[in-house]
Amino acid sequence: MKNKLDRLFNLSLQGKISSIYILTNLFVCLVNILLILGMNRMSNEMELVYRDNLKLNELLAVLDDVQNNMTDYLNAKTSDSLEKYYRSSQNYQTLVEELNDEISGSAFDRMKRNIKHMSARYLEITDQTIEAKRGRNVEKYRIRYENATQMYDYINTYINSLNNQQFKNNSANYNELAQAFRLFEMIGIAIIIIIVLMNISSIIKLVGAIISPLKTLAKSADEVAKGNFDIELLEVQSRDEIGVVTGAFNQMIISIREYIERIRHSMEVERIMKEKELLMEAHLKDAQLKYLQAQINPHFLFNTLNAGAQLAMLEDADKTYQYVQNVAEFFRYNVKKSNETVTLREEIELVDNYIYILNVRFSGEIHYEKKVDASLLEIEMPSMILQPIVENCVNHGIREMAGEGRIWLSVYQIDDTACISIRDNGVGIRQDVIEKILGGSYKDENLKTDSNGIGMDNVIARLKLFTESEDVMSIISDGADKGTEFILYLPVREREEDDV
Amino acid sequence: MNQINLKKNNYKGYMLITLMLVLIMTIAGILIFFFYINRFRIVTDANRYEHYYVMITEDAKSSLWQSAYEGAYKAGLENNSYVDLLNSSFDNNYSKEDLMRIAIASDVDGIIVAADESAEMTDLINEAAEQGIPVVTLYSDNTQSERCTFVGIGSYDLGREYGREVLEIVQDKQNSGMQVSTDSKNNVTVMTGVPTPVKVTVLVNAYTQDSGQNILCSGIQETIEKEKQDGVEIELSLVSIDDTNAFSAEEAIRDIFMENQLPDIIICLNELNTTCVYQAVVDYNKVGQVNILGYYDSETIINAIDRNVIYATISIDTIQMGKFCVDALTEYNTYGNTSQFFMADIALINKENVALYLGGEAEDEE
Repeated sequence: MKNKLDRLFNLSLQGKISSIYILTNLFVCLVNILLILGMNRMSNEMELVYRDNLKLNELLAVLDDVQNNMTDYLNAKTSDSLEKYYRSSQNYQTLVEELNDEISGSAFDRMKRNIKHMSARYLEITDQTIEAKRGRNVEKYRIRYENATQMYDYINTYINSLNNQQFKNNSANYNELAQAFRLFEMIGIAIIIIIVLMNISSIIKLVGAIISPLKTLAKSADEVAKGNFDIELLEVQSRDEIGVVTGAFNQMIISIREYIERIRHSMEVERIMKEKELLMEAHLKDAQLKYLQAQINPHFLFNTLNAGAQLAMLEDADKTYQYVQNVAEFFRYNVKKSNETVTLREEIELVDNYIYILNVRFSGEIHYEKKVDASLLEIEMPSMILQPIVENCVNHGIREMAGEGRIWLSVYQIDDTACISIRDNGVGIRQDVIEKILGGSYKDENLKTDSNGIGMDNVIARLKLFTESEDVMSIISDGADKGTEFILYLPVREREEDDV
Repeated sequence: MNQINLKKNNYKGYMLITLMLVLIMTIAGILIFFFYINRFRIVTDANRYEHYYVMITEDAKSSLWQSAYEGAYKAGLENNSYVDLLNSSFDNNYSKEDLMRIAIASDVDGIIVAADESAEMTDLINEAAEQGIPVVTLYSDNTQSERCTFVGIGSYDLGREYGREVLEIVQDKQNSGMQVSTDSKNNVTVMTGVPTPVKVTVLVNAYTQDSGQNILCSGIQETIEKEKQDGVEIELSLVSIDDTNAFSAEEAIRDIFMENQLPDIIICLNELNTTCVYQAVVDYNKVGQVNILGYYDSETIINAIDRNVIYATISIDTIQMGKFCVDALTEYNTYGNTSQFFMADIALINKENVALYLGGEAEDEE
């Protein structure tokens, strides 16, 4: 039983509901069949009550036939009536033989027994009468006819009495049976009603039990539809379709939560990126503004210088030409590359130009040496980075010292980082100033008019944005008059190397 | 998870309970139904019996015959035989002769008949005997026939009892000093013409040629003759009561009371006459004047004795009588022979011992 119930609980939804309906219907059907059988039995019983009476009536009718046919034959002696007589006497005999022949305690049985014996005697007499008539023995058949008639009367009376008594008895029985029938009817109706009620209640209960996880599921789905993903996961109670859907729903909730988490993370990243971009742009704009403020009109200046260079060439003033050419290159770089990513080579060329110009201006005071790892020349970096640093070295380091100023530029690689070192032998920088510069809070109050206006803070900020790293520069100064070394760290990007 | 299991189990339990209830109800319903049906199937007495006897009586409804039948019936059951009172099988009233013919035609195993001395009865008894059906005559005999046994009462003894009672009544009257009425006119005189004779009337059945009745009368006569004291005159007369037609007995008895000369003592020889005389005595206000010697101990008669209307009555052991009939038939069917006579016990009931026969209520009254 328990196993079967277990199996029922593991059926599919259709199976469950179907089996409940089938089961309940079977119950009702079974009870109905039983009731119908009972009713049938009772109505049979009721028919039986009067069956005996009907039989006795038949017996009486046939007895009448026998007597009448015998009388007819005695009257007219037709062969037709004789045949009829034989037929009816045969009938009567058959009917009589069915009667009870035992001496029982039932009065009806005993009466039937007597009727049977008397009938046998009666038929004997009628046969003898017919016999005598055929033999034309007038005296005999008259006497026998009288005997037969008397016997006929007796039997008739006997059967009638039996019929009467049986009818009385049966009527009483019938009444009782009819009452029982009505009672049975009521009981039957009551049973059907009770069973139907039970069925209804069990269907409601069972279907409720089957549907209840669906309800919970619907409630949870509604919650989810309203946007609340932080609901408790549902229990899978059964292995039917609802169970499957519940499992899938749980999986879906888990997946949605995961996706939301992922999207939130990527949005966070994107926000940071955007912030960075905006910041970079802002710094660049700042740099450009300052640059433009510093340059009157680079194009005009550049063209002017070009004209100067041509003039110098015409006059065969090679040095002047060289100088003017360098100055022109320098400005052209500023015009061209101010907002682009450039290669290290270009930056170094700019530094070369700058140093040349300075040396012309300050008549070779600055000794410039460079030691460059050629393989790193093509790495990318923001423009206008090295020149401001060199300018800074010249203005703050070398300009304020006595003696020969020196600048060393070296490019080398440590692991996957390209290091660009710019060192001078100037006055050096105090440690607190270094920290201020690196922290971006140092403001050079007396920017020289011949500077191109780009401060260290701008350089460091742009480097940080470009490399997405905080560690872009270190400034080493061993103390006063011991020089300063700026080291820039740029990532060596494989892709760029491949491109080269 | 536990909760879910609990829930599941609850539903399982619910289902199980529902199932059980439905099953129990169905089974109970079926059982009740079949018990109900079977009640109608029970036949009162479905036993089978070996022999079938019928009893044919004068009057199936009188308590004497009822009681005799009861005795026979009970004795029959003991002997694995069934005794039917044939009179009650029919709705109409067949005569004893008709019933005899029916019994013979029914081929029964034995007939108990309250016979008479008529020739027709003799013929019928002989016809039955011819067919091998033993016939027992009950209470009244048919001496000429080939009946195998007569079961009755000793008529002569009964006569003697009546005789003694008559003498006792006379004795009582003398002792009480009452003057016995005299009468010169005497229509059915049998006895002497002494000056103040006590008149005794015996009511006999007119058309019944019953030898027992004659014996009984002579019993009364002889007893009175032998045992009466000197100087007592007793006049015994017989009055025929026409009993051939229904209700004629009652009319005949009323006729006696219409006449001027009433007997002092009336002796009744059957139950019906006793009841009729008793009622007539009460109706004509002759209580104490006419003494009744009754017959049989029906409730009415016993009560009448208790009220001093009937002087005495004869109690016949009818149960024993019925039993003797069946015993005789059983004996005959077993051994082919049986004794010729069976005599049932008789007892006198008068004022002294009537309490024994009264029901509990009457005793309480006293």
